[in-house]
Amino acid sequence: MKRALLLALAVTAAACGPKSVFRLSADENNAYALKETLAKRQLPGNPAPVNLQGSPRVFVLAAGSPKTLIAYDLAAQSVMWKVDADVQSRIFVGGDFIIEVEGKQVVARDQARGTPRWKVDLGGEFIGAAADRERAYVVVKDGSEYTLSGYDGGNGKRLWHDSAAGQLGAPGAHGGVVYVPFLSQWLSILDGKTGAQLTRVRGLDDQISTLRVTSTVAYYGSKRGMFRLDERSASGKRDQSSYATVEIPSQLERTTYNRDAYDPIQQGYTAADRARVLWASEPTTEGPMKLTGDGYAIHYFRYVLGFDSKGEMRWAYSNPRVELVASEDTDTVIAAIAQNGEVVALDRSTGGVLTRMSIGGAAQVLGATFDADGWRPSGQPEKLDQTAALVAIARDHDARFERVKELAVVALARQQGTDSTKELLAILSDDRAPVRLKDTVVQLLVQRRDPASLPILVEQLAVHDDAIAQTQTETLGAVAKAIAGLAETSVNSVDARHALAALEYHLEAPSTGIADLVLVMDAMTAVGGGEQKAPLESHLLLYHADDDRGGDPAWQKAIVSAIATHPTPVDRAVLRYVQADPRSKGGLAQQIQQALPAD
Amino acid sequence: MFNVRLFALFLLTAAVATAQPVKAPAPQKAPAEKAAKGAGGMIGKSVGVGSTRVKGPPVNPADISALSGADLELAAKSAETLGANPGAAAKDALLEALALGLPPEVAAPAIRALALHPESLDVPTLVHYANHLNPSVRDAAITALGAYTQKEAQDKIIERIGDSVQIVRATASMTAAKAKIKAAIEPMMVLLARGEEGPAHALAAMADPDLARKIAEQLGKVPDATLAMCLGEILVRADFGPDTARVEVVRAIGKIQDPSAVHALVDYLNATPKTDKSTAHTEAQGIVTARGGQ
Repeated sequence: MKRALLLALAVTAAACGPKSVFRLSADENNAYALKETLAKRQLPGNPAPVNLQGSPRVFVLAAGSPKTLIAYDLAAQSVMWKVDADVQSRIFVGGDFIIEVEGKQVVARDQARGTPRWKVDLGGEFIGAAADRERAYVVVKDGSEYTLSGYDGGNGKRLWHDSAAGQLGAPGAHGGVVYVPFLSQWLSILDGKTGAQLTRVRGLDDQISTLRVTSTVAYYGSKRGMFRLDERSASGKRDQSSYATVEIPSQLERTTYNRDAYDPIQQGYTAADRARVLWASEPTTEGPMKLTGDGYAIHYFRYVLGFDSKGEMRWAYSNPRVELVASEDTDTVIAAIAQNGEVVALDRSTGGVLTRMSIGGAAQVLGATFDADGWRPSGQPEKLDQTAALVAIARDHDARFERVKELAVVALARQQGTDSTKELLAILSDDRAPVRLKDTVVQLLVQRRDPASLPILVEQLAVHDDAIAQTQTETLGAVAKAIAGLAETSVNSVDARHALAALEYHLEAPSTGIADLVLVMDAMTAVGGGEQKAPLESHLLLYHADDDRGGDPAWQKAIVSAIATHPTPVDRAVLRYVQADPRSKGGLAQQIQQALPAD
Repeated sequence: MFNVRLFALFLLTAAVATAQPVKAPAPQKAPAEKAAKGAGGMIGKSVGVGSTRVKGPPVNPADISALSGADLELAAKSAETLGANPGAAAKDALLEALALGLPPEVAAPAIRALALHPESLDVPTLVHYANHLNPSVRDAAITALGAYTQKEAQDKIIERIGDSVQIVRATASMTAAKAKIKAAIEPMMVLLARGEEGPAHALAAMADPDLARKIAEQLGKVPDATLAMCLGEILVRADFGPDTARVEVVRAIGKIQDPSAVHALVDYLNATPKTDKSTAHTEAQGIVTARGGQ
C-alpha cells in the first residue's frame, strides 16, 4: 500500500520534475543493453575479496560505549587494527577503504590502519550504502526525495549524484557498476564512475526488494526467491531467468534470502543477519539458477543447516553456546562469526569445520561484514558428527528455538541405526523438552517403523515407576506407540520376546494409566505373535469386574479387540465367559458381542 | 507366564473341550488338582503343589457360588467363610475365584481368607494381585504374602516398598519387617531418609543392634523427627537388647536436636520401671533432665 502510494507520487513527480536516471518510463529489460552492461563490469575470474590485497578479511562491530571496530585478517589469523567508533550502520568494504555511518556522517576509514580517511555529511536519512574497489555509493532520503551519490574511495569527493522522487533501496556494487532497487519493481544498473544508468531490469512477475552482490555475481529478488543477474534477466520473468527458490522449512520461518533493501533498519546489523539463506551459484544458459554443489545452507541463529536442492537436510552445525551473528557463503566455504568473536569456516558440502579462530577481546560481537570471497582454509574439514549436531539442536534448552528442534528431530528420525532412536527417546525423557517437541518425537518414532530400533525401545521399558529409585515411566506411551508401529515389520524373534516380557510388566503394573495401557496392548499385539494373548486374557479376567479399569470404555475396546484379533478357541472362551459374567462392567459385553458376533 | 492365568485358561479350555456352554465354571468340578493333571502337570509344578493338603470339613456349594456372584457383600462373606475352612476344597474355591477375577470389594477378603492357611500354591495368585490397580487389593495381597517364605513372595514385597502409593509402601515395609526380609532394609532406608513414617516403623520393628547402629548413623541424612521416632520405637521394644545396644540408641537419640528426641526418650522412660538401673535408662534420664524434658 505504502509502496503503491510512493509509486503514484513518483508518477506525478516524474511528469513534472527534471529528467532523472530514475524514471518510470525508460528503456528496460533490454537484452542488448544488459549484455553490454554485464560485459562492462570489471570482475575477477573467480570469487575473490574486494580489498586490493585480495586478502580474506572480516570487519567486526563489537558492543561497547563507544563500540569497537575491528579488522581481522582471516588468512593470517590476526587482528589488523581495532578502533573505537560509534558505528551505526553495517560496514561496507572497498578496495583500500571501508565506509560506515557514524552520527550524521558517512565515514571512510583506511582499510589497512582503521584511521578516518574522509567524512561526508549524510544530508538525510541513511537508506543504504555499497562500495567497490574504487568508490563508495550512498543512498539517502531527504523528505520525499531519494538520492544516490557516488564518492571517490580515496578522498571522498562526490563524483555524481542522482535523485529520485520514488523509493530507492540500499544499493550494491562491484566491478565499477552500482545496482539500486527502485520502487520495488526495477533494478537500476548505473555506471559507478559517472552515475549514468547503463540499463535496468524490471521484475515482471515478482518485485525486486532484495539484493545480494558478491565479488562475481549480483543476485536480486524478493522473499520469494532470487535471480542471478545474467543475460537472461532481460526477460524479467522467473521461468525465463536464472531464478531459484529454495525450500525453507516452516520451522525456520524467519529466514530470508537477504536483507530487505527497502528497510533502513536492516542496513545496520540486526537479527535478519542471523536467519539467512546462504548459497552460491554457477552460470547457466537455461533452466533455473544452478546452485553450487546442488544445495544451499540456512544460517539460523546458532545453527547452520545444509540442504540439498530438494530441501532435504544434508548436515547440521550447531555452534557451541552462542549465536552466530553474521555469515557468508564465500563460494568456497560458509564463513560465520559468533557473538563471542569466534570465526568458523564450514565446508559447504558436509558442514565440517575447516577452521575455527578467535578475533579476541571480551566484547560481544554485534555484527560483521566478510570480505572473503574465495577463501578456503587449507586442510580437510573435521568429520561432522551429524547425530551429535542434531541432538545438540534438539536438546538445546533455549526456548526461542523450539521449532528448530522439531526440524532437528525430523532429521534425526531419518537417520538409520539405533543411535538416533536412543537420542529421540532421550528427548522424551528430558523434563525440560517442550511438549510439542515430544509429540513430534512420538510421531516420528511411530512413522519410523525401524525393527532394528526395537531393542532400544525395550531398554526404555526397563524404566519402571519406582518410589525408591524415583523413576517414572514418562515415555511408556510413546515407546509403546513406537513398538505398535512395528506391526507387520520383520522384527527379530528374540527382540520380540524381550519386548513382550517388558510390555507385560507394564500391562500388570498398577501405575500404568488407561491411556498408556491401551498403547501397551497395541504394542503387545504388534510384536507378540500370539504369545500376547495369555497375559492379555489374564488382564481381562482380573479387571472385567473392576470399576476403574473394567468400566473404562477405552480399556474395554482395547482389551477386547486385542484378544478378538485372530481368535483361538481359548480366546473365544475367555471372551464369552466375560460376556456372560453378570459382574462384568457395563459395555464390556457389548464390546465382545461386536468383536465376536458369532462363533 | 503367570500361573494364575494358566489356571484360569485351563478352566476355560476345559469348558471348551467338553463342549459345555461357556459360563463361570463350577469350581468344585474343576479343582486345582484336576487342573494340574489336565495341563500335564505344568500348573501344579509351577505353583509348587506337592505338600500334603488338608482335607478339612466339607465346603458348602452355596458359598462357592456366592463368592463369584453379583452380590458383593455376600461374596465377601463367603470368602471369609471359605477362609475359615482349612481344607483343600475351600482353598481351591478361593484360588479359582481369584483366578477368574473378583471385584476389589471381594478380592481383598478373598486374599485375606486365602492367607489364613498358607500353601505355596497361593503365591502366584497373591503376587498377581499385589499388582492390582486398587491399593486396598494390593495392600491385602502384600500383607498376605508376608505369610509365605518363597522368594517370589519376598521379591514382590520388596518391589512394593517402591509402590507409588504411600500407604502401600508402608504396608509393604511393615510386612517385610514382620517377615524379617533383610533385602528390604536398603529400600526402606531410602524412604526413611525422605522422612516416610511407614518404613521408619518397619525398620524399628525389625532392628537388631547392627541395624539400630546403621539407623543411628543416618543422623543428618534423615529428618530429625523421623529418626527420633524410629530410634525411640527400637528403644521401647522389650526384645531389643542387650543394654549396651540400648545405650547406643539412647546416645544416638541424644544427638538429635529436635524436641522429638526428648519425646522419644520420655516414651522410653515411661515404658520402663522407674527402678530400672540400667545404663540406658540412666543415660536417657540424664539427657531428658538436661534438656528440660522431665
